[in-house]
Amino acid sequence: MVTRRTVLMSGAAFGLLTVAGCAPQGSKANSTAPKVSATSIDVAKAGSVTLAMLDFWSGDAAKWVANAVKAYETKYPNVTIKRTSVDWGQLTQTANLRLKGKNPPDIITVNNGWQSLGTLAKAGLVLNLDPYTKLFKWDRFPSTILRQTQFSPDGKTMGAGSLFATPVSSSSLIGLYYNKSVLDKAGAAVPTDLASFEDACAKAKAAGLVPIGYSSQDKGSSTAILLALHDLFGDQGKINDFVYSTGSVKASDIGMSEAAARLKSYQDKGWLTKNHPGILYADAIDAFLKGKSAFRFEYTGTFAFKGTQKQDYGYLQLPQAAGGRVVGTGASTAVAIGAKCAHPEIAASFLDFLAGAQTAQFVVDNGLLPLLHDVKAPADNPEFASEIAGQRQLDKDNGYVPYFDWSTPSMLDTLGGQVQLLLAGRSTPDDLVKAVQADYDKFQSGR
Amino acid sequence: MTLQATHPTVPAGAVAPTRRRSRRARRRRWLGLLYLSPALLLYAAIVLAPLAQTMNYSLYKWDGVSEPSWVGLRNYLSFGRDARMLEAFGHVLVLIVMFGLVPLCLGLLCASLLSRAKIRGEGIYRWFLFLPQVLTAVVVAIIWKRIYAPDGPLNTILRSIGLDGMTRNWLGDFDWALPSLGMIGVWGGFGFTMVLFLAGVLAIPDEHYEAARLDGASRWQEFRYITLPGLRGQMAIALTLTITGALRTFDMVYITTQGGPGTATTTPALLLYQLAFVNPDVGVASATGVVLAFLCLGIAVGITRVMESKD
Repeated sequence: MVTRRTVLMSGAAFGLLTVAGCAPQGSKANSTAPKVSATSIDVAKAGSVTLAMLDFWSGDAAKWVANAVKAYETKYPNVTIKRTSVDWGQLTQTANLRLKGKNPPDIITVNNGWQSLGTLAKAGLVLNLDPYTKLFKWDRFPSTILRQTQFSPDGKTMGAGSLFATPVSSSSLIGLYYNKSVLDKAGAAVPTDLASFEDACAKAKAAGLVPIGYSSQDKGSSTAILLALHDLFGDQGKINDFVYSTGSVKASDIGMSEAAARLKSYQDKGWLTKNHPGILYADAIDAFLKGKSAFRFEYTGTFAFKGTQKQDYGYLQLPQAAGGRVVGTGASTAVAIGAKCAHPEIAASFLDFLAGAQTAQFVVDNGLLPLLHDVKAPADNPEFASEIAGQRQLDKDNGYVPYFDWSTPSMLDTLGGQVQLLLAGRSTPDDLVKAVQADYDKFQSGR
Repeated sequence: MTLQATHPTVPAGAVAPTRRRSRRARRRRWLGLLYLSPALLLYAAIVLAPLAQTMNYSLYKWDGVSEPSWVGLRNYLSFGRDARMLEAFGHVLVLIVMFGLVPLCLGLLCASLLSRAKIRGEGIYRWFLFLPQVLTAVVVAIIWKRIYAPDGPLNTILRSIGLDGMTRNWLGDFDWALPSLGMIGVWGGFGFTMVLFLAGVLAIPDEHYEAARLDGASRWQEFRYITLPGLRGQMAIALTLTITGALRTFDMVYITTQGGPGTATTTPALLLYQLAFVNPDVGVASATGVVLAFLCLGIAVGITRVMESKD
């Protein structure tokens, strides 16, 4: 019989156990970076070394990584790199547990931003790479790219301080894809700026076609269009300062409300796919590849264009509405070294290889955008050539801004929900900006 | 016998037997615990220990990796002020009605109909209605995502019978997303309650119905005074499982709407997941988990009490 007394007693015992239990185990940042004695690293003479790498690369990306690993192992036969690949969500959500675990990875791809790389740096789970910066001359990378993986060792500042991860020779941008056959049907030319883009949309609508392919059932991916428009209106410096939390830039100051108003006007003009709140992301991607709309704002590397699609489709990095500079969201993948790595200098040399020219060539050969290196693109793929042209413009204007959702851990969810509200007519562009600011303030106050 | 042998000095009298009995009873109790111990140890390792750990975590502010700081009960107190959390608990109330009460009523209705009349192919109906229970939540969610799609079967049927005005983006509509999710629960829970109640009805002795019929009871009276009281135990089980299921709703929402559109379909379990893994605030996530666990416990105890008290 379970009596009231037994219940009370076991409850009390349980409570005591809980309170008496020691605090959850946390770890402190290593305030000092690893010491590097040599002025150069001779990987070939390091003896037999095996490095475990945990990453999220799949599909085309997995191919260039595999090529890079193979090339590195050929160059240094004494080094073996064992790759384990998991999906992005699983990687970002379990990175801290894996790095704290008994068999932590030596090399790991991480997400930028506070909640991911910032937390790992603060907890000392990934190495401070400052000592290797000089050794491998990583300061040759543009500062806009380097700052994406810089944190102060206490994790309180993002975008400045020590380097905790390096970029790879591959990048992903947000831009505008178009379908030439649909534009032809609408009697519209390939746009060159916002005005001609909107003109083409109007023509497509008049011809009974869908101007902008869009889906908003999946919160996260519903924001790509807003972020792309945001880059056309916001001041590059201010967007940077907002995301990196430097200075006191307000959400109302970075072109977000103009972008939201523009997006709402597209909805009101009937330019977005009908029923977009009920359409799944994967279906929308498929629909665009099947020629169901003239345009789609998307991350590069998403579409796998095949056969004649390589002639039919193209990519644009639209210049800003005022001034005509090209500002766009773009970043590489951040790769870090686990704090428990036994051969950090070898791992660092592999990181350097991943950011090298040979890797860039592998990236391009597999149809993805390179970073940092000018490489030859395959000649028979006009679609890919247009992506590279877009990226060159961005490079030329040094117009990179970081992914907006790095600004707070919950920003992507907040923004996604707000876009859904805005397009359902349940909130205004001003409400959206206020919600972004509220999310930002909440995070800043707890930082 | 052995006792007497080891204690030869104990005189045979009134004291010895009671003592003997109590000692034996005590020994039996320890023996019982011994038999239970493998299961108990396993239970302690995979349920009690994590529960204690979670309760412990809930008293800290912790991002999951760096140094935690003690905040006492502040994580629990923050609930009252967190509009998102309150809204999520509001959504759960709707889900409780649709996951628990609606299937309960439908199950009762069906069981009373199916148990009374012989229907051809009854077994097949039962099998079909029970099918959702066999499918995992992920499969169910993916099937319904297709059914609710703008050009999915539901809208196609509505259009084909001239109800174009009723077609909508079921899961993308601010007003309809939550009821649409609830309908998935109705579909899933209905077969379960029906099979449970049918089995229960079969266990009610036929004599009760015969007696009632002889006394001239109507079908409603039969249902009200024989079937319903006879199913009390099954109803307690059905309600406990469906309501705690509704409280814990995560997988279905995560796969279909991720809490959207806006925050129209968030649930505490979804927020818990986000707090624990997406933007790590392990303390508040643990507090949410503890509150959910005790709510479930309270509901289970409450339902059992109410049902037992009627006996």
